Amino acid sequence: MSLQIILNGIATGSVYALIATGFALIFNVLKFSNFSHGATMTACAFISYFLVADKGLGLFPTLLAAGAAGAVVALFGEFVGFRRILKNHSSATYFFVSSITLGTLYEGLVTIRVGSNFFNFPSFFNKPTIGIGSLVISTTDVMMFIISVAVLLVLAFVIQNTRLGRALRAVSFDRDTAQLMGINSTRMIQSAFVISGVLAGIAGVFLGIKYTLYPSLGSLVVKGFIASVIGGLGSLPGAIAGAFLLGILETVLLSLLGSGYSTIATFAVMLLFLLIRPQGIAGSNVQEKA
Amino acid sequence: MKKKLLAVTLALAMAFGMAACGGDPGKTDSGTTDQSGADNNAGGEDAGDVGQDGGASVSGTEAKEPAAGDGEILIGCLQDITGSTSALGISVQTGAQDAVDEINANGGVNGKTLVMKTYDTKGDVTEAVNAYITAVTVDNVSIIVGPPVANIANAIKETSEDYDVPVMGLAMDPACQLKEDGTAYKNMFCFQPNADTQGDIMASFAVKNGLKTYGVLYNQENSYSVSLLNPFLDTLKDQGITVDESLIVAYGAADTDYKTLLQPIVSAGVDAIYCPNYTQQLVAICTAASELGFEGKIINGLDAAPPFNTTFGGDCSNIYYINNIDVNDGKTSEMVARIEDKVSAVNKYFLGYDIVMIAKDCMEKAGLADADALRDTIANVKDFEGLTGKITMDPASHMPAGMGMFMYTYDNQTPVMLEEYAGN
Amino acid sequence: MSALVSNILTQVFITLIAVAGVYVLTGLTGMFSLGQAAFMAIGAYASGLLVVRLHMNFALAVVLSVLMAVAVGYLIGYPVVRLRRDYISLVTLGFGEAIGALLNRMTFLTGGASGLTGVPRRVGLPLACISAVAAIGLVAFFKTSKYGRQCIALRGDELAAKAMGINVIRVKMTAFLLSVALTAYSGALYVFYMSYVDPTGFGWKKSADWVIMVFFGGVNSLTGSTLGAFILSALPQMLRGLQNYRYVVYAVLVLLILNFKPSGLLGEWELTPGNVKRSIGRLTEGRRRKEEK
Repeated sequence: MSLQIILNGIATGSVYALIATGFALIFNVLKFSNFSHGATMTACAFISYFLVADKGLGLFPTLLAAGAAGAVVALFGEFVGFRRILKNHSSATYFFVSSITLGTLYEGLVTIRVGSNFFNFPSFFNKPTIGIGSLVISTTDVMMFIISVAVLLVLAFVIQNTRLGRALRAVSFDRDTAQLMGINSTRMIQSAFVISGVLAGIAGVFLGIKYTLYPSLGSLVVKGFIASVIGGLGSLPGAIAGAFLLGILETVLLSLLGSGYSTIATFAVMLLFLLIRPQGIAGSNVQEKA
Repeated sequence: MKKKLLAVTLALAMAFGMAACGGDPGKTDSGTTDQSGADNNAGGEDAGDVGQDGGASVSGTEAKEPAAGDGEILIGCLQDITGSTSALGISVQTGAQDAVDEINANGGVNGKTLVMKTYDTKGDVTEAVNAYITAVTVDNVSIIVGPPVANIANAIKETSEDYDVPVMGLAMDPACQLKEDGTAYKNMFCFQPNADTQGDIMASFAVKNGLKTYGVLYNQENSYSVSLLNPFLDTLKDQGITVDESLIVAYGAADTDYKTLLQPIVSAGVDAIYCPNYTQQLVAICTAASELGFEGKIINGLDAAPPFNTTFGGDCSNIYYINNIDVNDGKTSEMVARIEDKVSAVNKYFLGYDIVMIAKDCMEKAGLADADALRDTIANVKDFEGLTGKITMDPASHMPAGMGMFMYTYDNQTPVMLEEYAGN
Repeated sequence: MSALVSNILTQVFITLIAVAGVYVLTGLTGMFSLGQAAFMAIGAYASGLLVVRLHMNFALAVVLSVLMAVAVGYLIGYPVVRLRRDYISLVTLGFGEAIGALLNRMTFLTGGASGLTGVPRRVGLPLACISAVAAIGLVAFFKTSKYGRQCIALRGDELAAKAMGINVIRVKMTAFLLSVALTAYSGALYVFYMSYVDPTGFGWKKSADWVIMVFFGGVNSLTGSTLGAFILSALPQMLRGLQNYRYVVYAVLVLLILNFKPSGLLGEWELTPGNVKRSIGRLTEGRRRKEEK
């Protein structure tokens, strides 16, 4: 019984992990919380729904389309929302305001397109559950977990072992110095947005499968925000750990306290955590001018 | 500096220009409307009289664009068009508009053309009050087709006391129509069976079909869901069934794990889960239930009516739901076929349609000159043969008396009507 | 004035009070709260409940509700002012969600999801207008006071401010509590104007909207923030005819300002006698008067 709840928590956590890493990646590079990430997820989920899933093409083409859409949307966002602010050397708070506005814009556009109709991804599996002894695991959850882990492994490889990853880390550490070392920092920032967009696209499809498609689906971005802060701002492994921790914490509290009070308890635990370990799970790698 | 000042000036000019535009129609209407604004702010008691003047001016000749011109009657449609409940709002709007078109094609109301204007509440209570005031003071609508959302009706009910425009709505919560002292808000009406009746019907049906043990999953942040909880439990209690406290589970918008919430209910091996929730969440909940291997029945409110089946996508044979319409009825099924692709909440379409038809009857009987007479007529609607049933209003409660509903299930994906229930 | 205009103006003035609070927090002190709207909910519910359930005097209820919000604000502020800036938005966000959940859960007290009904209507345009002017005056006074200048100093460089002998934690706390009090007061006005309140609409998006208003008008200028709040809260009403394109227009407008005039509409310009004298040559008298309004 309690193992079942932990399993549910891990399933939820694996979706949070995708959101949180996309979120943390941008934080890592630009040092701000990108709240347009949520609306990007929604937009991608809908785009892939209309282009692919609706035509019955199956899960993987849907994910591919969503990832591609995410890359495009994120690049667009970088261009309209953040490029000039970066050039003006405005404070990080401008990014924050701009990202929320961008989110409003995407959500508005999605609302115009989809109106009030109900949308849901077709079920991708014939067998909804897998039973292991007394435990019941849904096929969708297993699939989400596997894909999340795979995507995150690929991401880790890219960040750690490729030229692109090293350049990204250099830019996130010190943009100006990286530029002087011959790294095109604008290009790197764009790459970060593309990667985060792809993650947003995949996360969007997962959210759509789990909770059906609706224009404000992206408000779940706050879970990614919480997870990435708990993890240590900007740290990718931290964000993933934070996401699973949050997923499990939420489900355990939910089953113990019921809805409502569990929200309050989650908040209390989070506050306590920040006071005890303000640098997050991973220890923050962000230098802040005090 | 110069540029800054220019920007400010432009912005100010824009803001004030627009404010002036918004205000103009009301202002030029008559001196009395002016006063109505002032009274309204002070919570003045004689605002009603003033509003009446405003209402009367519609039937007169001086009404301004876009208010009705000569030979036209303007009605308002106060719905959520862009907010979280827009699926319901747009469906009511479409139904109401189709009724308006049909009435006009058949000669209008007393020879006048009916014109409907929609006001978006965005599903937000503050916006709803703005929209309502725009409708009654700027455009001087004669009646308003109200929303199916209790919070919106709650938000406008106090303001509506200051005016003389009946709100013919669909808010199932009795508190939307009745003051604390049990008398009705003069302008607030509901044209579908209220939550007490619907909960009672669903529970009676469930017991009659041999379901003995129940779990409940409801949205504590949604007034519709909450309002359907106790009537259902009360009727079960009357039938000698108590639902265990631990199996009545609440959830909120922040909860993302329906499986954990359903777990105790499913493990208890109940016969049925009662789920009064909006379609969106219902789909996610039913998916979660099937993933947990739940094999009992799921009893739902209006929201499991199509397009729930196509949205859910799977076998819906274990779903029971309540509905306002009888799809076996000739005219109804014909209309359903015509509009199915157009609206997302078919039953709300019919509710909107019926309201406009009733409004037409009442306006023809009472005319528009005397607001009290019109309200009286609406409060005393008797045996109106609507597509959502025979409607007789209870003048004391402003809600329909004895209006029945229908219980449905699905055969895989096809809706099957099981039984008609009379209201109480 | 027509009922519609006075209705919109009343709502705008109520928003102005909350935004004046956000200006103190974000504009002056550089802290971001994503749970600010929750204090509006506290102000609204506390004052509404005191009157509905305890039949308390309206004015007394408003004062008490503001004090209650400040007390809650002190509890939340205690960790908030000690945490690094990125965390402030997170803690306040979680706080806002917790308050929303609590309001929904405590049905016996708050009416839960159905909202709190039966609140008498005591607020009209005059009171809202006077309150807004007073709130803005108070914030203007705060800005020019010792505390205000200390706020600005620590916004620029917290370490340097500390080195100058500024008690950073105390200054931050003062600013936070002032903004809480203003927001709660606007909530109290809200409930006595609407005569109804439900738990929706006090989420982080509302708080974020207020921050956007401050930035739109000019994060360094109280006049600008006020103007931004005025324009952006009235704008969706003006654009009613555009239906669901409204939000797109709104977002595009804000993005334009952020991109091309990042200091906001007014930059650092304030409405002070000196500045007015300087601009008088450039502006006609009539336009000035509108501005003052």
